[in-house]
Amino acid sequence: MADMTLTLKIWRQKDRKSPGKFVTYTVENVSEHMSFLEMMDVLNEQLIKKGEDVVEFDNDCREGICGMCSLVINGRPHGQEHGTATCQLHMRKFKDGDIIVVEPWRAAAFPVLKDLAVDRTAFDRIMAAGGYTSINVGGAQDANAIPIAKRASDEAMDAASCIGCGACVAACPNASASLFVAAKISQLALLPQGQIERRRRAANMVAQMDKEGFGDCSNHAECEAVCPKEISITHIARMKREYFKAMALGE
Amino acid sequence: MKLDSKIPEGPLAEKWDKHRFKLKLVNPANKRKYNIIVVGTGLAGASAAASLAELGYHVKNFCIQDSPRRAHSIAAQGGINAAKNYPNDGDSIWRLFYDTIKGGDYRSREANVYRLAQVSNNIIDQGVAQGIPFAREYGGLLDNRSFGGAQVSRTFYARGQTGQQLLLGAYSSLMRQVAKKQVQLITRTEMLDLILVDGKAVGITTRNLITGEIATHMADAVVIATGGYGNVYYLSTNAKNSNATAAWRCYKRGAAFANPCFTQIHPTCIPFSGDYQSKLTLMSESLRNDGRVWVPKKRGDDRAPNDIPEDERDYYLESRYPSFGNLVPRDVASRNAKDVVDDGRGVGPSKVAVYLDFADSINRLGENVIREKYGNLFDMYERIIDENPYKTPMMIYPAVHYTMGGLWVDYNLMSNIPGLFVLGEANFSDHGANRLGASALMQGLADGYFVIPYTIGDYLATNKATKVPSSHHAIEESVALVHDKMDKLLYIKGEKTSTEFHRELGKIMWEYVGMARDEAGLNKALEEIPKLRDEFWQNVRVSSDKNLMNKDLEFTGRIADFLELGELMARDALERNESCGGHFRLESQTDEGEAKRKDDEYAFVSAWEYKGEGKKPALHKEKLVFDNVELTQRSYK
Amino acid sequence: MPALPTSLWSSVARKALMALTGLALIGFLAVHLLGNLILLTGNADAFNLYSNIYASMGSFLYVIEAGLVAFFLIHIVSGVTVALGKMKARPVSYEKTANAGGPSRKTISSTTMIYTGIIVLAFLVFHVTTLKYGAHYETTIHGEKMRDLHKLIIENFAQPGIVVTYVLTMLLLGFHLRHGFWSAFQSLGALQPRLSGLIYTIGVLIAIILAVGFLFIPLWIFLTA
Repeated sequence: MADMTLTLKIWRQKDRKSPGKFVTYTVENVSEHMSFLEMMDVLNEQLIKKGEDVVEFDNDCREGICGMCSLVINGRPHGQEHGTATCQLHMRKFKDGDIIVVEPWRAAAFPVLKDLAVDRTAFDRIMAAGGYTSINVGGAQDANAIPIAKRASDEAMDAASCIGCGACVAACPNASASLFVAAKISQLALLPQGQIERRRRAANMVAQMDKEGFGDCSNHAECEAVCPKEISITHIARMKREYFKAMALGE
Repeated sequence: MKLDSKIPEGPLAEKWDKHRFKLKLVNPANKRKYNIIVVGTGLAGASAAASLAELGYHVKNFCIQDSPRRAHSIAAQGGINAAKNYPNDGDSIWRLFYDTIKGGDYRSREANVYRLAQVSNNIIDQGVAQGIPFAREYGGLLDNRSFGGAQVSRTFYARGQTGQQLLLGAYSSLMRQVAKKQVQLITRTEMLDLILVDGKAVGITTRNLITGEIATHMADAVVIATGGYGNVYYLSTNAKNSNATAAWRCYKRGAAFANPCFTQIHPTCIPFSGDYQSKLTLMSESLRNDGRVWVPKKRGDDRAPNDIPEDERDYYLESRYPSFGNLVPRDVASRNAKDVVDDGRGVGPSKVAVYLDFADSINRLGENVIREKYGNLFDMYERIIDENPYKTPMMIYPAVHYTMGGLWVDYNLMSNIPGLFVLGEANFSDHGANRLGASALMQGLADGYFVIPYTIGDYLATNKATKVPSSHHAIEESVALVHDKMDKLLYIKGEKTSTEFHRELGKIMWEYVGMARDEAGLNKALEEIPKLRDEFWQNVRVSSDKNLMNKDLEFTGRIADFLELGELMARDALERNESCGGHFRLESQTDEGEAKRKDDEYAFVSAWEYKGEGKKPALHKEKLVFDNVELTQRSYK
Repeated sequence: MPALPTSLWSSVARKALMALTGLALIGFLAVHLLGNLILLTGNADAFNLYSNIYASMGSFLYVIEAGLVAFFLIHIVSGVTVALGKMKARPVSYEKTANAGGPSRKTISSTTMIYTGIIVLAFLVFHVTTLKYGAHYETTIHGEKMRDLHKLIIENFAQPGIVVTYVLTMLLLGFHLRHGFWSAFQSLGALQPRLSGLIYTIGVLIAIILAVGFLFIPLWIFLTA
């Protein structure tokens, strides 16, 4: 296949406070083997040579696990491929002459820092509210002292595979963080190690999620559909049960 | 420079216990008076920051990403070793120690490696207690798998995402301390200099990557856990942001850099496809269990792989190494791939790849069995290359993966600069000339959870905290240095982007300081790198604003450091005229073409001391003493 | 653990309240529809006798009505809170939006809940004022004087404008219930992966039955008058 020429409509915003706008760029000689981010690299190389500011976009591992990359591509967080982060989306999924709209995650809880990069520290604060078992280093018993059913362990791993990218928030029509929060609550609720603090954890993490200004969950399940790790909204149902238990029984 | 490894006296198995008893303690009530800076939030950094905070120290933890959870430890796939002996197959602390020191080709310290094996079991206990969902058997107990370089199954894993799960475990402990305000988390901030007062590490100079603000942070000790320097090669399996800048700044402030030439090249990566390519993707080594490696016998054979008849294929690993075949160690597999590619028999569009063919296994076991074992890897391959590996042989090629070298540390993980500690991949300590699979995670967490909490106390207890006034000349000098470098980069306004320079540096490094090295090539590299560096400082062009988020400026600064580090790697490789582990000198091979160590001349750690701009660094040697293992030559025929 | 009032109005509890009241209102609609089916018999006395059961409840009717109003209010207030929260949580909207497909349950129903809800509410006001508080005809059945609601209904449903309003609103109600029923179970944390598809299908069926049932009656009366 011959190289492609693409038109990109990219959100540019100088910093947190400035208003942003879309700017249109043309990128030529895009190989079908490039990843989407490599195509963005090519654009930035062009901009540097022209003496213009590069387009900021978060990225790091480029193998779909660090959760740093984002981008809403033609209305879909991480692009149209299911179970794929932007860094593993390849240009062969696009056609010569395509117009591609590239936007940042949009949520009040994820303010834009510059262009396409957003501040996702709200997730860290939710984790700090209870996404752990309260144990210090040194006191742990032998690892095989607690047998755990393989099924529970596997299901916990499904939830634990969350990469914290925030696509769930970006895709949710309400900008809800339920899938992210549920993944951690569910992981620890499924394992014996998480039992001692399970009610406290559910109450505090949900409270922090609300405090951060995320929207409510209206069960659109878009989050599951865009999640690079395909985490199921079943975990959201479990989070709710955990929360009700906390409400009914206290800590 | 005096290098005192501080290895404790006594029998190997008792060294760590006795040493811990001798280490001075900080009274619990006094701990809160100490501030510790931890740079990096990967396995080593996050575990250290969390553990130190649990003890009561005040910790400031820095990372360049938006969250500690993004550190590149997250990308480790395979697993973590421990000497639990759960499978009852004869493992022990001694065996893990032995395998690790042998795997490192006898270029690491016995005492350090033994301690690593000792604490390995505690790491698994700690991880399980944190709620890490390790793989389990139906009976509810932990599952183990086997890994290269060992004859026992001692690797614990969580699907193909072990690094992710261990990092999220450490991250959760860290966030618990953040909630308690024991740790102050400072994200999107890059360390750009180390501040020394009276020869001791007392702080760092940083740049806020959002606002561009330059700030200084002072502490009683500085812990560096910023990972390896594989990105010197431009293309590697490292993350885009992985860099050597923090470690390199320490080197330029006087910390010795040890064994810089020891890099690990991983044989099964997805080959590069064009100049635009930004990184290489690793695929688990386990693929070699069922895939057969081959290239065409004829040079420049352009036929599709399935059109090449059986008798015109060269299964070179099977023919050269009849007993190990496709399962030779990482370095041997990598070097042989390079040989056949250099011979003009490479495959794929770039001609820099070899085939990894599953056709026989699929015939023998059925496609379903292969799908069960490797389905996710095959999917990942298809996503990137757009070819179905069930039908067409995979193309693979080696890629830079891990760096064993790093800042020199003693047994306490303190560098030669008092108060400067170095953990994880950033130090040189435990893997010698070659790291075994599933040992990186073990070392990072051992350093952070189980070594630094003890050893840092000894330093703090004997070094009274001194208040450094903010007007101290060392602080002003450091801030000025950071500003100057950035201004200089922005002032050049040349023709080439930093990525173009980085790509050129990568080519030099890969060509001359890559899988096989010789004197002529290394000398060539020592000529080319300074030339490239000079050009860089005259002709680089950086995207303009230093007071805004500016990833180009960040990267350019790091590439400037790589351009210096690359030269030191070449110098170290030239100096070490022997082959060992990941360092293969063409001049030093056995008759069979295998790596030949020269234990009489080179059983030492090379520690390089910075001597100033444009001056040759000084080499110091820390002799390695082996009282407990016998040094043998590896053979895989 | 936050104080109870806080947790009752947290995002999770709020949606549970919405779900519980929503399911209760679906129950109310089901009973309502069953009663209305009497209209299809054309027997005015039977319908008036049925509606007189409620009228003769006396003060107990007020209790039922108050409960109903409370359920509606909780449902409405939580719904409006979600809708306002949504605007607050995403102040800048996307230039381009698309459905992600796959397991997504995002449909025209799910994204218009607040609008269909508001229209149904407006309809409700109209419905109650024109019927419950509409013209008071009287009739005598078996010697007992009672309200002739049947006459009023027949009069109303003879007017094409009213019939069209009913038909359209009931269609929108169907859309509301299509997402609402399934969503309520998920909000209550009651969904298991095995049941998810089943509940979703039941939700679609309930939406069709209630919407078609309710819109068929005025249409039938209009056409057969």
